[in-house]
Amino acid sequence: MHEQSLVQALLDLIEEYAGRYGAKKICRVRLSCGRVSGIEPACLRFAFAVQSQGTVADGAHLELDLLPVRIYCFACEQEIQDEAYHAVCPRCRGSAVVLVGGTEELKLIDMDAE
Amino acid sequence: MKIPVVKNVLDANNRIAAENQALFAAHQVYTINLISSPGAGKTTLIEKTIAALRTDYRIGVIEGDIQDTCDAERIAKLGVPVVQITTGGACHIDSSMVREALATFDLAALDFLIIENVGNLVCPAEFSLGEHAKVAMLSVPEGDDKPAKYPLIFHVSSVLLINKIDLMPYVSFDRERACSDARKNNPQLLLFEISCKTNAGMDGWYAWLRTQIASIRQ
Repeated sequence: MHEQSLVQALLDLIEEYAGRYGAKKICRVRLSCGRVSGIEPACLRFAFAVQSQGTVADGAHLELDLLPVRIYCFACEQEIQDEAYHAVCPRCRGSAVVLVGGTEELKLIDMDAE
Repeated sequence: MKIPVVKNVLDANNRIAAENQALFAAHQVYTINLISSPGAGKTTLIEKTIAALRTDYRIGVIEGDIQDTCDAERIAKLGVPVVQITTGGACHIDSSMVREALATFDLAALDFLIIENVGNLVCPAEFSLGEHAKVAMLSVPEGDDKPAKYPLIFHVSSVLLINKIDLMPYVSFDRERACSDARKNNPQLLLFEISCKTNAGMDGWYAWLRTQIASIRQ
């Protein structure tokens, strides 16, 4: 439920950049975050739909790029991507792994203005 | 028109966290952000830690809860400065709440500040408060699968306290699994197995804190 705080911070950032570029309406917002960053995409979309009402981003389409989970496997001696984090290597099923990516925090990449 | 941004959404939170961090540095106050599920034993750990370290250090506490002030009242009974943050429904403390709370402390009269976050293993991991270290706590009855299920908190923490080890004989908790999964999220993670009830392992935790508090002093 921290998605509500994230969306408020996101809307502040959107307003700031919309003002800077003199945009009156934002129609598309592109975000990225890691798959294990603790953000629930459905909650984020719902919060955005509710909280953006009456703002410059009211009705904007939200695109969320989910960055893959990346682990390093000591047995395979390489970095491997996965859809989710299971604390095991998806290739060899070994457990000598370290989480190296997928925890990236929510970032506003760009947006389209009318 | 395309507007490029490429900024972290929590930059505003991180900026205020950096201001808090500068305040802690200026006053040489070592600060921890204590994070766990509800009921893992955060407040009891704080009570024990105050009792063990208060003769050598001046300690303050910020208590974060969704509502109610019973934790702050427990700490106030010990006679140390404490401020309660009630988040009013929010599942975590953010850096601006801490900045407000700091205004009510005399930081020059503190050596060590403990921030007890809202009981939650998910959201507090994302919000930096300006602390020196995040300390995660897991209690044995919660189960050994938590480090695999909630990777972020173990990834961002410096220390993991495994509490209530006196209950090991009564619950199925594979300590090897918990420790090994936690280290997969963060190979640098420092682990202490403790019991706030029997005091097992607590000396290691206190010794670590003493080293940390000393390390930021000139």
